[in-house]
Amino acid sequence: MKNSARLLVRKYSWQYSGMLAWLIQRVSGLLLLFYLFLHVLTINKLSQGPTAFDQAMSLFQRPAFKLLEIALLGTVVLHALNGIRITLIDLGVGHEKQRQLFWLLALGIGGLIFLAGAIPIFLFSILRI
Amino acid sequence: MYRSVIEWYLQRITGALLLVLLVAHFWVEHFMTAPLRRGELTYAAILDRISNPYWQAIDISFLVIALYHGLNGLRNIILDYSRIGKKAARVCTAILMIAGVYWAYLGVQAFKNL
Amino acid sequence: MNSVFFKVSRSAPGGASKHVQSFRVAIQERMTVLDALFAIQREQDPSLAFRYSCRVAMCGTCAMYINRIPRLACKTGIENLASETITVEPLPHLPVLKDLIVSLEPFFAQWKRVRPAFHFSGRNSQELARIPPASEFGRQAREKRDCITCGACFSACGVTGTNRRYLGPAAINKAYLRLMDPRDDAVEERLRVVNDELGGIWRCHTQFNCVAACPKGIDLTDSIARVKRAMLRPGRFREKLSETSGPEV
Repeated sequence: MKNSARLLVRKYSWQYSGMLAWLIQRVSGLLLLFYLFLHVLTINKLSQGPTAFDQAMSLFQRPAFKLLEIALLGTVVLHALNGIRITLIDLGVGHEKQRQLFWLLALGIGGLIFLAGAIPIFLFSILRI
Repeated sequence: MYRSVIEWYLQRITGALLLVLLVAHFWVEHFMTAPLRRGELTYAAILDRISNPYWQAIDISFLVIALYHGLNGLRNIILDYSRIGKKAARVCTAILMIAGVYWAYLGVQAFKNL
Repeated sequence: MNSVFFKVSRSAPGGASKHVQSFRVAIQERMTVLDALFAIQREQDPSLAFRYSCRVAMCGTCAMYINRIPRLACKTGIENLASETITVEPLPHLPVLKDLIVSLEPFFAQWKRVRPAFHFSGRNSQELARIPPASEFGRQAREKRDCITCGACFSACGVTGTNRRYLGPAAINKAYLRLMDPRDDAVEERLRVVNDELGGIWRCHTQFNCVAACPKGIDLTDSIARVKRAMLRPGRFREKLSETSGPEV
């Protein structure tokens, strides 16, 4: 694209992808950190013996928790793929295409992976097909 | 050599490692043995694996890497708010490190009394 | 469209009593936002305060927040905005002096921290220093030296809004330009400044707002990323910069 045309497109169509990506990374990161805390607490129950552990595990099989699990999958996928995008940008790859990297890689491919995981969980664990 | 650049690279390196470890972890916990594939997430189903010190080492390493990545991320968020000065930043870092050590300790404690 | 509704931020001297005043302005072909502000000042409210100088996007004086994006008013064509209502506000993240005028003090405080002036290593030399345009520095400098210190990037950045210590894209870009200049020798001082834990390059989170806002089209995030990558071997800064991958100039 000619430089003047590129300036025109860049200036007069504000790309929120950079800000959105940053926000998503930050929020998903905090959520995942919180999840890690809860997860370690749960696994810690192993030291309290089989009954305590199995009790906690059966709680997590309930449909409500399965929904949370699907949300967790979504959060992980978003954070991971956006993280890949950020690493690529930091290494100098894809500066010119940072918007496409966000929409196609982080959200596009991320969405596909999410659906590939979420739909089976939903069907088998929540609807009990 | 500036400390900040090592942290910056480590955040990305641990991120990449976590991606691999996470996928492996998911496979190990949900697909490695028949009971797990059937959905039986019980003490008995995982006892064999977590009694093995090699698996314990892998799990603890995974936890430590995740803790570094997560707590360093949190530290970055805190540093973005200039209301805190240099001294407060150092205190925050210390608190996060202590939290990380305690967290890892909780994780190691899971393997007691197996 | 033959007239456009302008919502202009007004305030008393010192920035108090902030409010929005509306004006309807008759539009002519190729009119810019700066033209509209002149029309308002001339025909409707002579107390409207705003800065301008060259009117041809060279000086950076008329940077404002137009439809919530930092732009040069002299370069923003009203027809290009394609909007019935145009909001004009002072640049964010900077103290308001009156109406659309801000103080650029915080911006230049950061600018000065990186020692932006050229510090020639051979100042007593009798020979000309030659930089062929096709040389590594010549090529890389070409896109990075056009900064007109308008403050648009500083205002667009999401980090400067919460972190008063952050250098900002313009200062870091200037530091990068000087750091990779083979004739300059104030390297140590600048390296120390850009590596500041609370306000240096590490506070950049690649939001890319600066790149989108820069009226000169400088890839600021690229400059900052190059400095970050080079920090692994600061002693080999200049060679490292040359080896760094990235878009071709």
